[in-house]
Amino acid sequence: MSAGLPRRRFLAGLGTLAGAAALAACSDAAPGSAPPPPGGPGAPGPPAPTTTTTPAAPAYTGEAALLALGAAVSGLAGDLLGQAAAGAGQGRYGAVPAVVSSYLSGAASQHVAHAEAWNRLLVAAGRPAVVGGPLTVEPGLQQRLDAALAPVDLLGLAADVTATAAATLTAIVGGLTAPAAVTLAAGAAPVAAMHGATAGFLLGRPPTAPADPTAGALGTDALTV
Amino acid sequence: MTASAPADVPILQTASSLVELTADTYASLQALPFGGGSSALAPVRDLLASGVEALGRARTDLAAATRAAGGRVQTAPDPKYAPVVEQALPTVRGPGDVVGLALTLEDVLAQTLVRDVADLSVPEVRRTVAGHAGDSARRKALLLTLQALLATGRAELAAVPPDLLALPPAAGTVGFPDVLFPTEKASPADEGAVR
Repeated sequence: MSAGLPRRRFLAGLGTLAGAAALAACSDAAPGSAPPPPGGPGAPGPPAPTTTTTPAAPAYTGEAALLALGAAVSGLAGDLLGQAAAGAGQGRYGAVPAVVSSYLSGAASQHVAHAEAWNRLLVAAGRPAVVGGPLTVEPGLQQRLDAALAPVDLLGLAADVTATAAATLTAIVGGLTAPAAVTLAAGAAPVAAMHGATAGFLLGRPPTAPADPTAGALGTDALTV
Repeated sequence: MTASAPADVPILQTASSLVELTADTYASLQALPFGGGSSALAPVRDLLASGVEALGRARTDLAAATRAAGGRVQTAPDPKYAPVVEQALPTVRGPGDVVGLALTLEDVLAQTLVRDVADLSVPEVRRTVAGHAGDSARRKALLLTLQALLATGRAELAAVPPDLLALPPAAGTVGFPDVLFPTEKASPADEGAVR
């Protein structure tokens, strides 16, 4: 992340959920100290365990992982587009046309709203909310934003990020079973697609309708939490 | 494709009827000089061409899903909106009318497909329909943007590529007015069912 960009400001909407996340994380904590050995405190205990490094269990499994994926991809899109909008306002990318700034801010706020909605479902299911966009693709996309020099770079990044969000949300529709989650995916995916269409128009690209609408979708294995 | 429940049949048939009507209307609009002809604005012409292609895929996918669910494929246009289109087509006089008519149909189609995603029983079919809802939503976004630009009276703003410095700021957001895609205009599941 570049200095001077208030990246986390765009996650402020998620801040109220952070407390809930912390509480939920506590409830997920491993059990406390092991029970005393059989025969009482003075009895010989079991052999000392071999010291090994055990990978941490994923915080999200099953359908919760799909909810977390929805939150993460929406959070990442909201974060990146929000950073781009802030950088444009600070003159980082030269003279940015007002229509581009308007696009970035508007799309960012809707992705953040989607992330909040996914997190509400996670918290209601007793799972921690996702903060930010903890995905394997996040560092590469962040580097791309950091390297952006002009408005066209921002729009190109927006077109790609929103395409990933739309494909991912479309793909997870098939894996979700809870009606509220299916309805959220059904309502959010087309909006992400509309963001992509608008970015494409501003870039002068011809309209597209991908033959495979889930091409480029992220799976739950892309989650880093 | 996994077989759908019989209850899915009217849902899929109604979706097919809207796709049929929208595809037929796009073809009619393409035949107009200012729709797909030589005097058409490039983004309008491109959108109609892309729409015809995508709607053809939707027609094929919905037919396959209908057959898999044990139903007859709906090949007739939606009975509620077909008369509306029939009445409107002769009144189309320019790109603004093309965009307006296409937008009316795309909005109903997209809203219906979004609602269908929640109502369908088979995950694979849900995912397929969600993909077509996304395509329709993309076209709606572009139509909303073009409509706003044409409403300024400066058709040159609807260019490929657009002059970003000349575009009004609102053109950046007019294409996505809702945080979640609405469904209040969705057609009832039996509206286009085969009788």
